[in-house]
Formats: sequence, C-alpha cells, structure tokens
Amino acid sequence: MHSVPPYVTYLFATLLVAMIFCLALEEKLHAKKSVITGAFAAVSLLLAAVFGLVHPETVILLGHPIRLPVYIPGVDWEVIAIILGSSLFVDVTSKCGLFTWIAIKLTKASGGDPLRLLIFYGVMTVVFSAVLNNVTAMIIVGSLSSVSLAKLRMTDKLLGFLLVEGLLTNVGGMLTLISSVPNIIVGNAAGISFVDFFLKASPYVVVATAVTIFMGARLFRITSLKEEAAKSQAAQLVAGFDENDGIESAGFFRFGTVMTALFIVAMASVSVTPFIRDLGMGYVALAFALIMLVRYKSTADRFYQAMDWDLLAFFGCLFIVINMMEHALVLELIGDGLKPILGLGETTGAGVLLFASAIASSVTDNIPLATMLAKILGTMDMAADSPFWWAVIFGANLGGNITPIGSASTLVAVTIIHKNKLPMSFAGFVKIAVPFAVVQLLLAVGYLLTILR
Amino acid sequence: MTNLDQFESAFKSSDKAIYTFNRPRFARVLVVTDLNATGLSGFTEQIRSYLAVIDGDQVQWDALTADDFQSVQEVLEQIEKRKPDLIVTYRHLKSNAWQWPYSLGEYLDVMTQATAVPVLVVPHPDAGRAHSHSLVNTDRVMAITDHLTGDDALVNMAIGFTATNGTCWLSHVEDQGIFERYMDTIAKIPQLNTDTARETIAGQLLKEPTDYVAACQAEILAQDVPVKMERVVVMGKRIIEYREIIEKHKIDLLVFHTKTADHLAMNGAAYPLAVGLRQIPLLMI
Repeated sequence: MHSVPPYVTYLFATLLVAMIFCLALEEKLHAKKSVITGAFAAVSLLLAAVFGLVHPETVILLGHPIRLPVYIPGVDWEVIAIILGSSLFVDVTSKCGLFTWIAIKLTKASGGDPLRLLIFYGVMTVVFSAVLNNVTAMIIVGSLSSVSLAKLRMTDKLLGFLLVEGLLTNVGGMLTLISSVPNIIVGNAAGISFVDFFLKASPYVVVATAVTIFMGARLFRITSLKEEAAKSQAAQLVAGFDENDGIESAGFFRFGTVMTALFIVAMASVSVTPFIRDLGMGYVALAFALIMLVRYKSTADRFYQAMDWDLLAFFGCLFIVINMMEHALVLELIGDGLKPILGLGETTGAGVLLFASAIASSVTDNIPLATMLAKILGTMDMAADSPFWWAVIFGANLGGNITPIGSASTLVAVTIIHKNKLPMSFAGFVKIAVPFAVVQLLLAVGYLLTILR
Repeated sequence: MTNLDQFESAFKSSDKAIYTFNRPRFARVLVVTDLNATGLSGFTEQIRSYLAVIDGDQVQWDALTADDFQSVQEVLEQIEKRKPDLIVTYRHLKSNAWQWPYSLGEYLDVMTQATAVPVLVVPHPDAGRAHSHSLVNTDRVMAITDHLTGDDALVNMAIGFTATNGTCWLSHVEDQGIFERYMDTIAKIPQLNTDTARETIAGQLLKEPTDYVAACQAEILAQDVPVKMERVVVMGKRIIEYREIIEKHKIDLLVFHTKTADHLAMNGAAYPLAVGLRQIPLLMI
C-alpha cells in the first residue's frame, strides 16, 4: 500500500461526504445523480492526478500494449453489465404482457375483496421486486392498485395499499442476488452465489412480508367484505378486467414467459454452468436482453432510448469516486472507524452494523453505502458466510423503508400517492413507515443472529 | 426503463365495460296521432303488428286522436296522466309541414325532450316516404351512437325491439372531422409523434366499442337471447355513414339517444337524423 499524507486523505474524505450530502439533496439541487457523481468523479480524478495517487498503466491485451485510462479499471463492469442487461431484458419482456397478465389474473382471483387484494398485491410486489427490480415492481403494482381500487370505488384505501406495497418492495428486493443493486454489489464482493443468497434470504422475506401485510391491514383498517351483495358487486366489477388485453401476440407472450423462467434459471446456475461461469451474470443478463430484442429488431433503438442512462452513468461515476477514495486511503480510514463496531464480534457487531447501515441508507442513496462497505469488508478478507455481509445487505435494503427518499421504489410509491392527489408529507411518511421499518429491522437482526450466524 | 404511465395505461385499457342484459318491459303504450277514430284504428293495428315483439296480453294500448288535444301543453298533460312506457307518434302532428322534410314539428320536438319516455317516430301516414320494409316487422334493428361503450340502456332497448331470430346491429361511428382536427393540432406539436398519435389514438377509439360489442355478444349468448348481433365500428362522417348502413342492411328500426343532460335540445347527430331519416321508424330514447 502506498503512503498518502493525512491531509490528502481528509481532503478526499471531505469530497466523499460532500457527494453523499449532495445525493441526499438531489431533489433540492434539481440535479440528476449522474451529474452529481460525475462532477465529483472529475474532481476526484484531477486531485488524484495532482497528488500523484494514480498513474496511467499500460496493459497487454492479446499481445497489444494498451494505455488504459485510470478511470477504467475502477469501474465494476460486471455490476454495470448486470444492471444494463437486466433492465433491458425486463423492459422488452414487459411488452409481451406477462406481468400485466399476472397482475390482472390476481386481481380477478381476489374477487375484489380488499383484504385478499392487499395480500395478493403484497405478495406480487415481493415477487416482482425479486424477479424484476423494486422500481418496476412498484410501478406495476402501484398503478394497478390505483386503477383497480378506483374501479371498486375504494380509493379511500389506496394510501394504505401504496404504502404497504412501497415498504414491501425493499423486502422483496432482498430475495435474490439480482433483486437490488446493493445485493449485486455486496453479493459479488462477498462471493455469495445466486442459490446460496436465495436460500438464506427467502425465509426472512417470507416472514417480513407476512408481518408487513398484517400490520398494514390493521393500521389502515383493510378488512374483508362482509355482506353478500357487496361481495357480489365487487366480484362483478373486477371481472371487467381483461388479462389478455395487453397481449399483442400469443406467441410472444409464451416466448416472454419461457424466457423469464429461463432467465431466472440461468442466473441461478451461473456459478455451476461450464463456460458461462467464466463469463459471469452480466453476460447472461446482456445475452437474454439481446435475445428478447430480436423480437423488436427493427425498432430496438426505442428500447435503448428508454434506458435509464442516468442510473448507469451514476454507477460508472460512483465506482470511479470510490476507487479514488481507495487510492486516497479514505476507505481505510472508514474501515478503521468501523473496526470498533466489527470488534464487537459477529453477534453485537453485526447487529450494530445492520442498524447503522439502515440509518445511513434512510437519508442517502444505499448504493454508495453498499459499494463503500463492500470494498471495506472485502479488504478485511471476510468469509462469504460472515454475518457482516448480510448485515450490510439487510441494512442497506431495509433502511430505504424509513424515509421516502431512502429508496427509489418508496419514492415511486410517494409519486403515485401524489399523482392520486392523496396527502402525504415527508414527516407523514416517516411517522407511518418507522413502526414497519423498526419491526422489519428487529426481525432482520433476530434472523441474522439466530439463523445466519 | 418502464414508466408509470405505461403500466397505468395498460391497466386502464384492460378495464372493459361489462354488459348486462335486461329486457325492457312496456306495460303501457300511448299512440299519439292527429287522426280521427277511423284512421286511428287502422294505424294502431299496423303499429301493433309492427311491434309484435313487445306486444302481448299484458300490454295496455292507449291512443290520442286529433280531438284529444289542441296544444303541446295538453299532449304533455295527457302523457303525464297516462304514464306510458312508450310513446308512438309521427312528425308534424296537426300540421301540413310534413310535406317539407326540414323539421320535426312542434309536438314531437317537445315530446322528445320534455318527457323521459322513449318515443317511437314512424313515417307520416300521409307522406308516402316509408320504405317498403318499414312498419312490417323489426327483424333488422340498429342502435347508433358515437359512444357505444358501456351504453347498456341503448343496447337493451335495441335488443328488446328486435324480433325473435332477427338481427341487431350495434353501430359506433367515430367522428372523422373531430379526429382530424385533433390530429392537425398534434401535427403542430413537435414533442408528439404525429404518425404514432394517429395510429394509436384511432386504434384505441375503435377498440373500446369493439370490445364492448364482443361483451354484448357473449352476454346475449349466455342469456340465450334469440337475436343475432352484428357490429359496425368505423370512423367517418356520421350522417353519411348511418345512411349508408341503413340502406345497405335495410334497417327496420333505428334506435338512438336524443336527450342531453340538461334536456334543452337533442344531442349531437340526433336532430339531423330525426329530421332526415323519414323512411324508417326511429326509436328515440
């Protein structure tokens, strides 16, 4: 490890704090994440060059010497490939009508009963968050909730539905390795396989889902219909939904369904599939996206235009900033600060780290936090089954449930709430969400210390 | 990336109007004429034969002759007193203006707006403009509207008047003129793709009534109603399209809405239809 003067480390640490602060105030600054992190990446790179922390390297690729810019190796391209490929795959697959078909089928199966609808939508939110991503899940289930409750003339229950769904996106986001970005980053750094991640996370997700729905039903007084006439009317109203309306082609629908199943299987078996294990999950995600794009080969550019380039550029720039922080020994400094916590041992230490991660993620983006902690824990040679990795995963995901800015999906939930002209302030959200988040975090600590340790 | 509006639109589109069949019942029918007692008898007989599908022992037929009223007010009082479920009449009562096909006459004008009762308007007995198939039976009935989706009342009325094993056309004509006006506006907005807007809006405008007719067909099949249902969902100039469809299918009865929410005047295309289509009976609801 090279030596860095302390004042340089503190200068970079100040930059890191400033970036996190700016990201927390993203809305106030009217600046996109990619622009904020991009600006800090540019400044960090310049300062790193000025202080001689980084030097351009020449690498030999297939016998050719290539001068590699310092910001290229700092980016975790596997993570970028997974996010790019998965987003594109989900976007194209959603055109086949599979997700709307499932959503409407469940709505009809509920018979329009509010409690059954809450349970079905809650479970659907968790599953969609796990298979797709939590933002898409919230968009699908949230928009269906507003349409179906309006049809059932139960808009007074919409606020409760949207809040429960928003809180469940972050629970569902813990089900698989690819369900959320912190999972991908921490899972990759820890070397946790897709199957292992699922087996360890799923029992908690099941319990937390059931508890969240139960609490939501009690708090928002969502109960079953009692009278036969009301039941019959509700069933008739939801019967008007046509699950086949969004299916443009039966063939593409079947193809999309099969490909979604294969995508999950392929992702789950990357580590044991010959050749594919060398290419990684990013390759699988991109390959599946490409196969789906064949259906829209002449208009594929529409999907490229629709990609969230802000998010991808944000990741790219964030990795550069974190890499520069590593060179400036800022991560080592934070690691030293974390040592007292980690020194508390795998029981108390993991519990404290979980709560600390949750509180930090509740006020700022959980991705920089996960990236930073993954780097720090990685340098400490933590075993893949160490509870500290899981403490970061649980904390980074569930912290998003404390405030509306804690995660992108809760922000989407609040957007839908405001779109439907329902009153919901920042403080109002926190007041309702905190009891849910505390229960979910306590369950997580209990699970971490009894089952995962 | 998926967006909120995309899925909300998909779910709203999947929310289809459901049709419930309810056969309309007519316990009292009031025939309003300016004929004398002799003329009334033959006229009523012809009407009862024409409306055999709604007639029966339980239906009470009343009639007003020329002597029963002297003003619009008196007709309205008679309607109020007799409380019919259906009024049968023709244009230009107590007037010779039937010779000029440019209006309805004061009696009919008021009757269609001042009462909530459906009015069956038949060709004037003296005018000789009726088609040969008019007033024979109701084998071929057509409901017309520019907003068919969810209009159970109109569909029920059309089916209710269709003779057993007859055909009922559900017609929805989307106004081409209005559509083109919006398209012209969209063409001037750089943020909106004109071709996409034209294709998708036209498609959606016609999809909804098409889906609704499918729901109606499924319901009458399920209810075992002995009526064949056909669909006419197009974009065009309303009056011209209606005339063509009526001629093409030799329609025996045309059913349409006339009342606006404020009951001040006939809605949309109803007035020109009521004035212009003098060859066949019109059921104005």
